[in-house]
Amino acid sequence: MANLNIRSKQERTYEAIVVGSGISGSWAAKELCDLGVKTLMIERGRNVEHIKDYPTTNLLPYEFPHRGQMPQEVKDANPVVSKCYAFNEDAAHFFVKDAEHPYVQEKPFDWIRGYQVGGKSLLWARQVQRWSEFDFEGPARDGFAVDWPIRYKDIASWYSHVEKFAGVSGNKDGLPNLPDGEFLPGYELNVVEKYFAEQLKKHYGNDRHMISSRCAHIHGNADYYAQQGRAMCQNRNLCQRGCPFGGYFSSNSSTIPWALKTGNLTLRPDAIVHSVIYDEELGKATGVRIIDAHTKEMEEFYAPVLFINAAALNTNLILLNSTSNRFPNGLGNDNGLMGKYVAFHNYRARVSGEYEGLSEYATSGGRPTSGYFPRFRNVYKQETDFLRGYAAGFSGGRGVRSDNSGIGMELKESLLNPDQYGPWRVGSHMMGETIPKETNYVALDENLKDPYGMPQLKINIDYDDNDEKMTKDYIEQMTEMFEKAGFTNIQSSDSKQAPGLDIHEMGGIRMGRDPKTSLLNANHQLHAVPNVYVTDGASMTSTSTQNPSLTYMAFAARAAHHAVAESKK
Amino acid sequence: MNRRIALRHLALISGGLALIPSCDFSSDDILAAYDKLKVTASQKTLLGDISNTIIPAGEIKGALDLEVPDFILVMINDCYTAENQALFTKGFAAFPDYVKKTGGSNFEKLDTKKKEEIIQAGTKLEGGETEEGQTNKAISYFLNTTKRFTIQGYMASEYIQTEVIPYSLIPGEYNGAVLITDLQKPRING
Repeated sequence: MANLNIRSKQERTYEAIVVGSGISGSWAAKELCDLGVKTLMIERGRNVEHIKDYPTTNLLPYEFPHRGQMPQEVKDANPVVSKCYAFNEDAAHFFVKDAEHPYVQEKPFDWIRGYQVGGKSLLWARQVQRWSEFDFEGPARDGFAVDWPIRYKDIASWYSHVEKFAGVSGNKDGLPNLPDGEFLPGYELNVVEKYFAEQLKKHYGNDRHMISSRCAHIHGNADYYAQQGRAMCQNRNLCQRGCPFGGYFSSNSSTIPWALKTGNLTLRPDAIVHSVIYDEELGKATGVRIIDAHTKEMEEFYAPVLFINAAALNTNLILLNSTSNRFPNGLGNDNGLMGKYVAFHNYRARVSGEYEGLSEYATSGGRPTSGYFPRFRNVYKQETDFLRGYAAGFSGGRGVRSDNSGIGMELKESLLNPDQYGPWRVGSHMMGETIPKETNYVALDENLKDPYGMPQLKINIDYDDNDEKMTKDYIEQMTEMFEKAGFTNIQSSDSKQAPGLDIHEMGGIRMGRDPKTSLLNANHQLHAVPNVYVTDGASMTSTSTQNPSLTYMAFAARAAHHAVAESKK
Repeated sequence: MNRRIALRHLALISGGLALIPSCDFSSDDILAAYDKLKVTASQKTLLGDISNTIIPAGEIKGALDLEVPDFILVMINDCYTAENQALFTKGFAAFPDYVKKTGGSNFEKLDTKKKEEIIQAGTKLEGGETEEGQTNKAISYFLNTTKRFTIQGYMASEYIQTEVIPYSLIPGEYNGAVLITDLQKPRING
């Protein structure tokens, strides 16, 4: 019987293949398409079309049967994803349920995933701070991991390139440890946040800053973004549902429709990439094998250039599973380091408090961002008993509440006429750099398979002594800063949450100068298979403290241009 | 909405089954819609009375008008752990006797003031190791949970969010330093 899936090799051949449609994959595809490259983008999940496939985006609170809360049965069946702050009734359909893609936790790791066209770009927190020279030189200066093969100057223009297109709002803060970029007008800090920033200047001179966090929201230059079919952010703060305005950057609202418009993009959802095909005679990768999510049949696609951007750990999984005589331990894995030196961000600790001052003020309206503390520890030199440091989020707010202690008409009157302002509430959370180590690794399980027959990923990642010291320091320092600012009722907590819940897993296929100690070169090519590029979180040599997505965008754009330049040689 | 329709159908089915010849009006059907709670029709009526005491009708509708008891039961049935469901149903079952003991009558026969007093006192009951202490703990849990979900179900209802305090999906540009005296109060004749 004829197999309808078998098409001629020519029909399944493209000029480039991008695996993954999230932030980094869609950026690679968009750049390749803009440069005239016929590109196939493969996504393991279902298609999610901008606006059409955002079923909850305009629902009102009372239209959610549980007012946003997830049913207990779902929580019981999904202990991992239920820990994620955004896994609620309005966005649960964009998260991978635990049973859909099992993995082995040799140590606790909460792997939060979004398998659909657009990936986690629909769900991300949209915070986009640039790395600085201090971040790229970190491993070399402090003697961990390996030296990054690039520096800030190599990536600065690519940051500008992606910021302009994605739309980044922020202020020119003039901080050497958090370079300014191509900003749309920034969002305002509120009166208590400004007060805190001033207090920091007063008590710490020019060492510690709290700024309005740069975010990937359109806050100006509306005509330019109208070309992408996107409009100004409406301050809804319902981003995780998918934004009908395209007010924040997602693959679905921005890069994918743009790439489709060039006529050069073919999108293939529902296709799980099994492995990269390596041709021993040519000494090159020639394509990928996919498993159709519905028929479970395997099919091959071919291209001279491959981008593997499946999100950090799944990129590791695909390349580890890409075995051949030449590469028995994974594609390009001559040194045996693939899957090792995985790191993440330490999000364990929080500090909160109250402020009795500025009691005549409150806020109105909405904004999609809040305050940000760039790293102030160990920036210019080593000064603590732990390596590196942490950034922190900061926000203050003052909601109006009602007195709910009564009953009957008195309670009703109070509920409908809320007038209890109380003090300002202030809060902060840490975003700590973790040190990549050989002992923090992912590997393929020898026996267990997922529902598609792929080996399950074994995850073995943990905190270390450096993280414990840093957590303690964050709590001490933030508490001290709160005290100096006159905040009261200061509380701190260490959730001891497992790695993974930060959703900033990075590394395993790190960049470096030396093929003996790294997998990728300065252009994001596998040292041993240069027509394979990795520009997602897997490529990270170290983690710094900034939310990483902006850096993946810049990496993807830069590498795409490199690939096209190479192909013309 | 679908759920409510389904609930009505289930109630009808349940009512239909009760038509098996019997004049025993004490038989009280368990409402299949809240399968984990084993709540009877008369208990749901009692819950309606309690929630309507917490937020009564006036010029503006009250909890019962907005089907708040259904919301309370849906939330506890769907979103609570088995342990907390058991505590809630224990308190729910013990509440009628508690009312008789403290109020001298069935709840529905009490006047509004007495109903309010009993609920408020019940929310403050302290638990203990004894059987009575355990029961008091359950009653307090039942009443506090009911009060919390009455408030949530009422305030997050279509009626309140469209006709009384309209909810806006688009809250407007941020003002980070607005004088409270300049904020327009959503003054409502509650």
